[in-house]
Amino acid sequence: MHSAVLYLAILMAGSNFDGVWKFPPPPPPEQYGNVLITRLTSKSTHPPVAFSHWLHRRYFTCRVCHFELGFALKTNTTEITEAKIRKGEYCGACHNDRVAFGVSEGTCTMCHTGKVSSSDGRFSELKDLPKSRYGDGLNWVKALRKNFIQPKASILDSKYESIPFDKNLRLEPEWGLIKTKAIFPHAKHTEWLDCADCHPDIFNIQKKGTRHFRMEYMLEGKFCGACHLTVAFPLQDCKRCHPDLD
Amino acid sequence: MRFKALIVLLVVAITLLASIALATNFGTKKRMPRPQEFGNVIINNYSEKNNIAPVVFKHWIHRTKYTCRVCHVDVGFAMEAGGSDIKEEDNKNGLYCGSCHNGKEAFAATAREKLVTEVQNCDRCHSYGKEVKNQKDFNEYLKDFPQARFGNRIDWMKAEATGRIKLKDLVEGISMKRQAIAAPKDFDIKSTILGMPDIIFSHKIHAEINGCELCHPEVFGAKKGVTKYSMQDIFAGKYCGSCHAKVAFPFYDCQLCHLKEVY
Repeated sequence: MHSAVLYLAILMAGSNFDGVWKFPPPPPPEQYGNVLITRLTSKSTHPPVAFSHWLHRRYFTCRVCHFELGFALKTNTTEITEAKIRKGEYCGACHNDRVAFGVSEGTCTMCHTGKVSSSDGRFSELKDLPKSRYGDGLNWVKALRKNFIQPKASILDSKYESIPFDKNLRLEPEWGLIKTKAIFPHAKHTEWLDCADCHPDIFNIQKKGTRHFRMEYMLEGKFCGACHLTVAFPLQDCKRCHPDLD
Repeated sequence: MRFKALIVLLVVAITLLASIALATNFGTKKRMPRPQEFGNVIINNYSEKNNIAPVVFKHWIHRTKYTCRVCHVDVGFAMEAGGSDIKEEDNKNGLYCGSCHNGKEAFAATAREKLVTEVQNCDRCHSYGKEVKNQKDFNEYLKDFPQARFGNRIDWMKAEATGRIKLKDLVEGISMKRQAIAAPKDFDIKSTILGMPDIIFSHKIHAEINGCELCHPEVFGAKKGVTKYSMQDIFAGKYCGSCHAKVAFPFYDCQLCHLKEVY
């Protein structure tokens, strides 16, 4: 029933999927992927931490923070504390005065800015990277492949190599009347991520074994929406996954 | 008749909707345990029913001293939390935890300090939800151990190989010394998916700490190829996942097993 209503809605809206899916309003490109961390600061007088993904992903792949350092994929769910950072956990793995600036009286306001726009001024540093149409307007996959950036793939293992698994998936839609398939290239993802970033929590690895794998759940931040709603190119960029869409 | 069918349909619809509403965490990433939490097990078969805090069993502290085999074969601990159904009486009779926690091999439930004062050790194990100061602090005690990427962030194999820890494989009164069986050969486990590297399985490494009995014949049959399993089964905590999901280096360290190029 649910899918039938959605299907009708798609028919009525034609190819204008914006009318069917309620995409979150896009932030300005320089603020796409910026996160305001308020888990502890909301209970104190310290301003929240502004974290900018695009500032970091030039130097490190996603897997460094979201796998090796144990950062969760949802804002405010990682149990970061100042004490842990000072011990070298989470941000402290790099922000220790060796890799990046450390925690001291003078550097508090570098992160505790309280404003999601605090890194806007540095966005021009990325002006030479290949462009894309949505999100932060940058094509990071191309930037990496064409060597515009050389992000580190591991900070714990100097000999780290990703498993060379480049299987491309063609995902058939659940609804019989819709012909649009989705493509999923493994290699473009493993260049940034670890297998375990997605498997088995988000996607299990059984063929057609992932249940409820649907667009409306992605818009809640599940499945592809874990990244492709907030950091990786947003879901609005339909054709990058559904190339045969008119 | 039609009325009955309607009711059945309604019940099916309600259960379907309820199951979707209940399982809301699908398609999202689970929380990754912190190094000091990895391998910790909460045992609560009888504790809370008797108004005592559940037991927090820490694998990491025990594995600095004993092989896995000692507890999971000789003492007979199950492989899942609560699976051994341990009672206080069992421990007093020298079974399960009581095999070692008897005041000789390790601290007992009560001890005498300077032969006079009686010290209650209940809190040292029944510590769930309590602020118990451990004798050995995780970060402090393990800070010089060889590092690994995941789990406890400790390379336990290397710690043993380099002599950082010496593991006891026999506990007096519990274990029986037998002539060792020569470790069978290491072998490849072929991946069933094109492009996924094969696995080199080291019998030797596993046999040193597990003996034969921990895996054979229940988790794995004794003949090569008879046990069919997939990575999905391992994720679900079966086969390799019996240990490599919760205590041994976790299955999300993909490259540690899948390292043999197949091209």
